[in-house]
Amino acid sequence: MSKDYDVCVVGSGAGAGPVISELSKQGKSVLVLEKGPWLTEEDYTKDEMACCRRSTYTPDLEDEQHVLEEETSNGKWVSEPTLESGWDFWNGNVVGGASNFMSGYFYRIKPKDFRLLSEFGPIKGANIVDWPISYEDMEPYFTKAETEIGISGKITPHKHQEPRSTKDFPFPPTSEHPIVTKIDKACNELNITSLATPRAILSKPSNGRNSCEYSGYCGSYGCHSGAKGSSRAALLDAAVLTGNCEIRANSKVYKLKSNSKGQVIEALYYDTNNKPQSVSAKIFVVACHAIETSRLLLASNGPKHPHGLGNNYSQLGKNLLFSAGGSGTGEFHYSEMDKLTANAMKTRGPFVNRGVQDWYYFNDKEFGGHTKGGVIDFLLRHPNPISKAMSVKWDDNDNLNWGKNLKRDLKTVFTESQDLRFEVFNDWLPTDNCFVSLDSNTRDKWGSAVAKVRLGYHEHDLKVGKFLSEKAENVMRQMGAKNIRSSVSGSPPANLVAGGCRFGNDIKTSVLDADCKVHDVENLYVTDGSFMPTGGSVPYTWTIYANSFRVADIIKKRV
Amino acid sequence: MNTPLINRRQFIQIIALSSAGWPVLGKAEKLILGQDTNNAYKNLSDPWLSIAEVQEHLFPADDDSPGAKDINALLFLRNMLDTPDIDSEEKAFIIQGVDWLNDLSVKNHKVSFINLDSDKKEIVLRQIESSRAGSRWLSLMMGYLIESLLSDPVYGGNKDAKGWSWLEHIPGFPTPTTEQVYFKLGQKSSANTRRRTKA
Repeated sequence: MSKDYDVCVVGSGAGAGPVISELSKQGKSVLVLEKGPWLTEEDYTKDEMACCRRSTYTPDLEDEQHVLEEETSNGKWVSEPTLESGWDFWNGNVVGGASNFMSGYFYRIKPKDFRLLSEFGPIKGANIVDWPISYEDMEPYFTKAETEIGISGKITPHKHQEPRSTKDFPFPPTSEHPIVTKIDKACNELNITSLATPRAILSKPSNGRNSCEYSGYCGSYGCHSGAKGSSRAALLDAAVLTGNCEIRANSKVYKLKSNSKGQVIEALYYDTNNKPQSVSAKIFVVACHAIETSRLLLASNGPKHPHGLGNNYSQLGKNLLFSAGGSGTGEFHYSEMDKLTANAMKTRGPFVNRGVQDWYYFNDKEFGGHTKGGVIDFLLRHPNPISKAMSVKWDDNDNLNWGKNLKRDLKTVFTESQDLRFEVFNDWLPTDNCFVSLDSNTRDKWGSAVAKVRLGYHEHDLKVGKFLSEKAENVMRQMGAKNIRSSVSGSPPANLVAGGCRFGNDIKTSVLDADCKVHDVENLYVTDGSFMPTGGSVPYTWTIYANSFRVADIIKKRV
Repeated sequence: MNTPLINRRQFIQIIALSSAGWPVLGKAEKLILGQDTNNAYKNLSDPWLSIAEVQEHLFPADDDSPGAKDINALLFLRNMLDTPDIDSEEKAFIIQGVDWLNDLSVKNHKVSFINLDSDKKEIVLRQIESSRAGSRWLSLMMGYLIESLLSDPVYGGNKDAKGWSWLEHIPGFPTPTTEQVYFKLGQKSSANTRRRTKA
């Protein structure tokens, strides 16, 4: 029977883009079904109301929400729909997905991240496993992403530098904020290696995309210049130009229909007018964000898969990962600087491209010897003025702040200091208490059960996060920062999610095989962050891009 | 963003129990984006007259800094309440709060809110803040005020970018045009899906 398309891809973000682009370039017919609208560079402005105060790039919670399940102090799990809690768990639901809104800190995971269990041993209560592939399998694709996505950076040799097949990044680092000289000096004094942070942002024009305009508003904002390596700017626009790729925006897939052989035959979706539609293809690829991918497969029961596609061994949705760690702040007061330095510190635009990886692995008796650590990144406080002002909306006694007091506090937060922040990224260990299921009591506007997410974490994550956070605070102190504070908690960052469909060699303990194909479904692949059994200690996007390029090569050989 | 003291559902339940009836709302007025062609403070009547007074009390003008009226906070709020995706319960609640405010003023001080001196206004507002729903109402007023101070002038507040310049804030570019405000981005995208088919 003839199929409508060679390949149908659900989602269009970082996990989908490489597959879409590679297969379109190869001449395959590719259909992309994206739930969100198709916004382009002209639509993205530096409007805080649009990016951050209203649900412009994400669904209205009245229409679509999550149910989040948290543990209370007495050990009971209590769930609450996000419409009630106001805890919005969406990222970017537009063509190009959340990659439109990333800050683009790009790190490779390291060889030992592929074999966390063998290298560091088990931890009680954590489902740590080795990956079914090695760093060497992934390396060519990390490299490919550097040119295809456009990654700017500079290699500084250090003790945990991962092996590379090319000498350096294809693009020099993006422009740097004057504060980096202070960071470098402090790190040097503390005998810490300060590294230039690679970024998925073009420092030079490439492939019809402009280089960065350094507006100073990057993370949370869609990119106007095309410099940010979103799936849309870097991959989809070119894929559409091949004539082989069709993107249907505002198309929400609610079920993958499978036959008695267990193969997927059709994707069922609601179109822009909320009318049900269906489309057939030889191969289906799901990459619509870790939580939603698990949700879609759980909802896709069929004759051979009564509990959802790939769920015959109850692995689907399990071992969901966030990024553990935390963040901190230190203040640099202009009154303590000469005028020239103060003006330099006030600079808006260039990046604080500095990070530390000295403790990616470390030895510490407290941790029982050789331990997996993580990375520290430095950044300026986000320039969003409304959110900055909202930080003084309430006073210390939880009373509303208004009148002269409010005006004084606003003046202080806006004009008296430059605030440097740091973020710590370490492994969110997979546990039995972090997973996705369906909540049939709460439905979206089309009547489908929403994803329910249990948000448990492992205490070990906090211990490592605090260890790294102290190191970062030392750097701040050495820099002479005032009012240094940090917070490490088990509260999951909704923008750093992976897992749920971990890949592995055994169908009894994993959803996907090493090729990221669902074990017992011949024509279904998952290429977003869902495949990751452990997360590494860096933001996930580069790994997701690289893996999607890897799987694209595998699919190319099939169709 | 601050965690709300009570969640949205609870707050609606509280209001449903405590209110004597919802005010009748006028039909949606036309949004005034970009330049304020029609002085927003001209010929005001309630609820807007009282709301403007509340805003000025919460965010008073000073020798070296703008107040609510200087930044056109009222126009911003009215624009927001007229956006197509406004939560209608929230809108009704904001307007209903004005009756509540004036009832309390009259009850305790014999005159409506706008006729109180500054000290009495403070007393009444802090009194309102002490109830959960009252705190919610003032929190909304403050939220919209802060947005009107620092959002792009296209939304009607931050008149002549006075909020940005007072706080030495450097905005990012490009800034939104009247066609790119957040509620039009959503409309545009769902109305015309850009579909391209195989060549």
